[in-house]
Amino acid sequence: MEIKVKNEGQVCEVYLNGRLDLASGTNLKEELKKIFDQDKNMIHLNLNDVEFINSSGLGSLVSIMKEVRLRKGRLTLSNLASYVKEIFEITQLSHIFEIYETQEEALSSYQSVTAN
Amino acid sequence: MIKKEFVYKSISENENKMLDDIEMFLDENKISGELKNKFMLCVSEAFTNALVHGNKLDPNKEIIIKYTLSNTTLNADVIDEGHGGIEKVNKRKRPELLSESGRGVGLIKHYSSSFVISENEEGGLQLKIVFEINKERVNCR
Repeated sequence: MEIKVKNEGQVCEVYLNGRLDLASGTNLKEELKKIFDQDKNMIHLNLNDVEFINSSGLGSLVSIMKEVRLRKGRLTLSNLASYVKEIFEITQLSHIFEIYETQEEALSSYQSVTAN
Repeated sequence: MIKKEFVYKSISENENKMLDDIEMFLDENKISGELKNKFMLCVSEAFTNALVHGNKLDPNKEIIIKYTLSNTTLNADVIDEGHGGIEKVNKRKRPELLSESGRGVGLIKHYSSSFVISENEEGGLQLKIVFEINKERVNCR
């Protein structure tokens, strides 16, 4: 899996490309740890190019979410393929993740929170 | 009837190899769309279960996957060299919402037409995943 990080503004944008499974999930957690080590706690994951996800990949996302919560931050997801979205629904993870249709919607939600 | 068999050492790097192999097998047999995604997911869950819980990532132990494709079904048998796996699967509870593991068998159950768990003579777990394909193929292509 290819992981690209755009860490410029208030929200760190992470772009995932490929399969999110046991091995790549571990890599993703390591990448996110580097971001947390910079005291960043607002993370957006763009899953547009995730072509495959399994329960190990989901587990890594849950782990990241728990870390974000510990750091009193926010984690958003966007651009899920319909079959990925379905897996989130079946496993009921759609109830605990903030999922947006597009990255623009997700990022603007951070601005609304800041404005409020 | 088309049959194919793959054998993997129990190392985490082989998860990706297994996904490449299954993708190639499905592409060769013109299985695409939702059916491909769902079948890959189920086999991947069974493989991870065999790798982590069955063979406990012991590189000396192997995982065998046997694929069978007929006009009506697409099957995968995922066999490990562990012990007591069937008891563990039977004892499994629904995972907590914030749990980082434990969703695999639920996903297999949801997506497959049927699945059967058994133990072979050596005590290894054999998970048979069956997809009835005629209706799916019409819907997915």
